[in-house]
Amino acid sequence: MAEEKKEVKSIDPATVEMIEKAASDGARVVFERAATMKPCPIGSEGSCCSMCSMGPCRVPLPKGKEETPEEKRKRVGVCGATPETIAARNFLRKTAAGAAAHSDHGRKVTEAFLLAAKGEAKGFQIKDEQKLLQVALDLGVEIGDRSNEEIAIDIGEMAYKDFGRQEGEILFGRRAPLKRQELWHKQGVYPRGVDREVVEAMHRTHMGVDQDYKSLLQQAARTSLADGWGGSMIATELQDIMFGTPSPVLSQINLGVLKEDEVNLIIHGHEPQLAEMLAVVTQDPEMIEYAKSKGAKGINLAGMCCTANEILMRHGVPIAGNFLQQELAIVTGALEAMVVDVQCIMQGIADIAKCFHTKIITTDPRAFIEGTTHIEFDERKAVDTARAIVKAAIDNFPNRGKNVRIPDVRSDLIAGFSHETINYLLGGLFLSSYRPLNDNIINGRIRGVAGVVGCNNVRVTHDDVHVTMVKELIKNDVLVLQTGCSAMACAKAGLMVPEAAAEFAGEGLAEVCQAVGIPPVLHLGSCVDNARILIAATAMVKDGGLGDDISDLPAAGAAPEWMSEKAISIGEYFVASGVFTVFGAAWPTLGNKEVTDFLFKDTEDLYGGMWAFEPDPIKAAQMMIAHIDKKRKALGIDKARERVLYDMAMRRELE
Amino acid sequence: MEYKVDKKESPGWGEVEVLGETYEEGRPEGEDLGRWRQKLASREEKLRYLENGERYWYGTEWFGSEKRKNPA
Ligand code: SF4
Repeated sequence: MAEEKKEVKSIDPATVEMIEKAASDGARVVFERAATMKPCPIGSEGSCCSMCSMGPCRVPLPKGKEETPEEKRKRVGVCGATPETIAARNFLRKTAAGAAAHSDHGRKVTEAFLLAAKGEAKGFQIKDEQKLLQVALDLGVEIGDRSNEEIAIDIGEMAYKDFGRQEGEILFGRRAPLKRQELWHKQGVYPRGVDREVVEAMHRTHMGVDQDYKSLLQQAARTSLADGWGGSMIATELQDIMFGTPSPVLSQINLGVLKEDEVNLIIHGHEPQLAEMLAVVTQDPEMIEYAKSKGAKGINLAGMCCTANEILMRHGVPIAGNFLQQELAIVTGALEAMVVDVQCIMQGIADIAKCFHTKIITTDPRAFIEGTTHIEFDERKAVDTARAIVKAAIDNFPNRGKNVRIPDVRSDLIAGFSHETINYLLGGLFLSSYRPLNDNIINGRIRGVAGVVGCNNVRVTHDDVHVTMVKELIKNDVLVLQTGCSAMACAKAGLMVPEAAAEFAGEGLAEVCQAVGIPPVLHLGSCVDNARILIAATAMVKDGGLGDDISDLPAAGAAPEWMSEKAISIGEYFVASGVFTVFGAAWPTLGNKEVTDFLFKDTEDLYGGMWAFEPDPIKAAQMMIAHIDKKRKALGIDKARERVLYDMAMRRELE
Repeated sequence: MEYKVDKKESPGWGEVEVLGETYEEGRPEGEDLGRWRQKLASREEKLRYLENGERYWYGTEWFGSEKRKNPA
């Protein structure tokens, strides 16, 4: 009898258990919706244009036959736009949307930062003086005997202006390797402020403006750079100053961090300001007493998505799960409130919450969800807002039903590997340095470095693509740096504890990890913290011995389960910064050979980095390893290994 | 940070002063586990750390891979 082919939805047992519970409870979660809503084959490959009301125009490649030049000439939109223009416009719009999301996050952080510096945001402060001084040196802000607040006001105002910089270059671009900056000048893509680049991208993709795919794709590079080295980097740096630069911290991850006898409160989204306040308020004895008065033993705060990464990195607050687990946290029946801000919040949570007692609380004036409660977060009244939210969660505890099941699944992880901490861990307080890393790459113990980042995507087996790829990389002595939901997937699989080095890493990598006491997979934070990976790569370049640009490094990037436009912006700024970057799941220009070839091949000549698409995680990891080996060869370190002391027998053999 | 200096006998050199241990006794717990930045107390120490620890960006006496080719 033929075996029934069963689709595997997730490799995570907690997720599988909750998908089953959702089905028996009649809650329709993303995994079920995806089964009935198939992706549009024309839109998914970038062959549909809806820029004007004469369309939408669909220009897919003919199936099963070679197209004649005449047929190709006719395969255009009503306005005559070619498939190349249509695919490139779609790609640029995705990049612009992603860059806008990260950078609007950065802008909100900057506003909070300025309020904190002026003493107008009670509860926020300048926590990390060292990072403040570092950024002051970057921006040329006078230090002298000035107070931290005075310095911070100057930094905040400069950063704020940088978003709307009309002319000139973004401030943090000067942190990049000198050769990279020269290349951006040569290509004409050194970005101005992100607001200008995003607006120009939207203008150029409007009906009847920029109709040369190469020109459109160069604007994609410029827009994305304004994100990675601009908006995202500002977010990371100012968050570090306000809340502290992350250092190693032990915590736990997965739905099993929810507690049956406590008020469970999840903060989900991306910005850390409210989450920071909730971390404080949930510890307040008065609030804990209030929770006890309602029959709970305490208050349990957990995170989800990148907000989770932010408070994990700084406070060790546990993570309830990654993107595809947001609805499943509600399905446990044990969640009193899910507090959301911006980005990656499925509207589906509002419907799922109706099947349980969970209160969905939106908090950001830019992000409302119909049918949910809105308690607006105002940095000027941060503590009061956080208290109101925690109180609402506690008040909901007595409404919890009997249908509660929390999966008994959780894993330990160590997070908090900022660039500064990696630098310190490798060299110590007296001579912090990337030297040991570079030396171990040169001597071959470590083959190279990979940044594996990005989302979950319901079109592939949840977490599987991340974990399989990362295991393949570390097995081959590639040190992996992670952020976002990808980091969470690998943490759940037990790859973010030092013991993972002995179990999963190749001999050389394991040896280095054991000597330094780090896991083979390092958690660098949230998705804006991909800026930390850019800085880590630059530090490797500057320390010497591995070329003089990021594109010389034996390094690669990947987002194997990507789904959001932010991932496209991240991938594009990795590429324009010189990194070979492989995406899985789907690729948005596959309907057009010219645009795809430009991104996958020609871009290497322009930036030294290029895109690739490979949904199979082992094959994708092997592509990354092949690229790393290519770079090792170019550096002349492909044969470098430990020095061998020759004995007489070996000498004789040589002679 | 206060540095501890130990006196030791060195063959041929007699009594010499050596830098003692710089780690703090005990095991950090909770949120303090892994924290290192608070070891730098004064602004001068912090600036000195940046000049050394992040020398290729903020140091003037260090020559990374780039500055040899392009004097800053
Ligand atoms: S801009 Fe051109 S290709 Fe796009 S929808 Fe309008 S007519 Fe069609």
